[in-house]
Amino acid sequence: MADAAAAVPGDPRDGPTVLDSLGEDITRIVYPVTTCMLLVVLLVSLLSSPSAPSPLAASIAATTGGGGVSGGGDDIPTALVTALTFVVAVTAATFLLALLFYLRCTPCLRAYLGFSALSVLLVLGGQVALLLLSRLRLPLDAVSFALLLPNAAGALALAALAPASVPIALHQAALVAIAVLTAFWFTLLPEWTTWALLVAMAIYDLAAVLLPGGPLRVLLRLAIERNEEIPALVYEARPVDPRHGRNWRLWREGGQPGASSTTVEVIGEVLGRNLDCNSGYSSSPQVHEVATSAGDANNSRPRATLAAALSSADSSIAQAEEVPVLQEHRVAVAEMRVPLIQPHPERYGEEEEDEDGIGLSSSGAIKLGLGDFIFYSVLVGRAAMYDYMTVYACYLAIIAGLGITLLLLAFFRKALPALPVSITLGVVFYVLTRTLLEEFVVQCSTNLLMF
Amino acid sequence: MTVAAGLGYALIALGPAFSLFAGVVARKPFLVLTLLSSTLFWLISLIVLSGIWRGFLPIKSGTWWAYAILIITSVALQEGTRLVFWRLYKKMEEMLDAFADRISKPRLSLTDKMLISLAGGLGHGVAHAVFFCLSLLTPAFGRATFYVERCSKMPFFLASALIALGFLVIHTFSMIIAFNAYDEKKKCDQIVVPVVHLAAAVMTLVNLAPGGCLIGTPLLLVMAALTLQYCWRVACRRLTEHQHRQLNDN
Repeated sequence: MADAAAAVPGDPRDGPTVLDSLGEDITRIVYPVTTCMLLVVLLVSLLSSPSAPSPLAASIAATTGGGGVSGGGDDIPTALVTALTFVVAVTAATFLLALLFYLRCTPCLRAYLGFSALSVLLVLGGQVALLLLSRLRLPLDAVSFALLLPNAAGALALAALAPASVPIALHQAALVAIAVLTAFWFTLLPEWTTWALLVAMAIYDLAAVLLPGGPLRVLLRLAIERNEEIPALVYEARPVDPRHGRNWRLWREGGQPGASSTTVEVIGEVLGRNLDCNSGYSSSPQVHEVATSAGDANNSRPRATLAAALSSADSSIAQAEEVPVLQEHRVAVAEMRVPLIQPHPERYGEEEEDEDGIGLSSSGAIKLGLGDFIFYSVLVGRAAMYDYMTVYACYLAIIAGLGITLLLLAFFRKALPALPVSITLGVVFYVLTRTLLEEFVVQCSTNLLMF
Repeated sequence: MTVAAGLGYALIALGPAFSLFAGVVARKPFLVLTLLSSTLFWLISLIVLSGIWRGFLPIKSGTWWAYAILIITSVALQEGTRLVFWRLYKKMEEMLDAFADRISKPRLSLTDKMLISLAGGLGHGVAHAVFFCLSLLTPAFGRATFYVERCSKMPFFLASALIALGFLVIHTFSMIIAFNAYDEKKKCDQIVVPVVHLAAAVMTLVNLAPGGCLIGTPLLLVMAALTLQYCWRVACRRLTEHQHRQLNDN
């Protein structure tokens, strides 16, 4: 028996079954998203003060005679106005990016990416490090700190921007670090503003990728026409084992050339896919550019979206042996950026390259934009400010949304935004947990009644 | 009582789940996805349940029969969820077998099916432990501990961690028994699973009595051990039958 987990001796004829590596693509994207959310929740629990105490904490505090902390609320109109301003700024910046890409100003975009990654790591990373040092009372003198921080920031920024020259683990860790720091910064916004912002970004993502005039769709079309990749920050899961890719190709060639795909093929595509195994593709030189204008009230923050060109990949897969190069270009994912403008003038500005949306890379691994990482973690971090029960519920909702988006990606075979489904499910589960579930569970477990 | 105590309680509730995850589930990505989806199912069933019961809360402390009705409805709903999960699993099994045929790999073996049911049960158990124990464990990381009036000999966190451990074992292994029973269409095993679940849940009613948790918690752990032993018997029998059948086929 091939699987090591079973201690019972089995039929020696059984080789590795289909269960061994199915779904590996998805878990390779679920683990980093989980890590990012976990780090943000840890940072939030260590560093932030709670917005409103949950019933259990309040009841325990009341029995001990401690005073409860009342969260300062901000009002809804301000939140809506802020969110709207944010979305308008993001739209304008995406159009600007599309224009720059159209004029082939790649040095501008690269500089922008690099600057923004470095600024996030340096400024935000420094702030978070200082907060952690003071909260955990770790002894570190100023000189060492001044030496360590720029070095670490520079190394991580380099790892994030030049994936070809560093080990892939370091590159992925640097991207996750950038996402964690940005998401933590976002959770510092007031509560209603954060929620309004999340919902607005989800709606914007949906509109920008799917509407005909949407900026991200325009940018994607440009990238596909030119067979270029838009420079942006994107998390790419490690490529899957090439052996399965060969089997996949054989299966596709032997299968029917019809356009209609049964559920089996789609599931197989989503779970066991590796489209490119021997074309010798190495991760494309993704250039990340960042520009920061510290001190400027209006800073733009780029975000990018990914799109998949699956339909062209299917046809080219049939002749995969002859045209490996063409195949990898077809499957290449275009990325787009959308700058975001800081809503509050008193906060220092920074910009980053993030990406939104989900797609496939040339090596067949799933790519997820860094903007998705960030907004998922913002939702979970904000849930952590209330209570951990909401954290677990929102985490499950977001992962479910991610799974649904991947299935939709396999069905529709075109660019899809990754934010709307997950954010919707996350918000719904947060509201349901906070209103319905918490009371029920606290009632039952404080009486030690479980089922 | 400090971070160490909090971590200790969390490990009491979830330690076996971690080792099962690291040793068995994490090796096959599909099992990780099964675990996540079964956790989601359990959460949805819990939300539906709390939606139904929201109007009747908070329950006055004297009326234990209200709690009994609550427990009976909860167990009924969760067993219904298990049936739905089984139906979805059958559909997924057909699709996987068809997919395996197309890429000319062997179909799902019996061990694979048992592993999937293990991952499903573990998902249920982990969801239970997380929502009923872990989410309330946050104050345990602080400086003091907490006692409930009716259970003055054990810290509240310890009692809930032990109960969560018991239920984790029960959920995980009764899922294996249930899937085997639905597969082989054995009525007696199919009845055993809801009965065990109901018995364990009703046993926690003992905790309502003053000092009852000292009796209820060990009884629940005994129940969990019984479930484990029964599942071991069922799995061994099934696997040896399967092996004999394959040897006879050769």
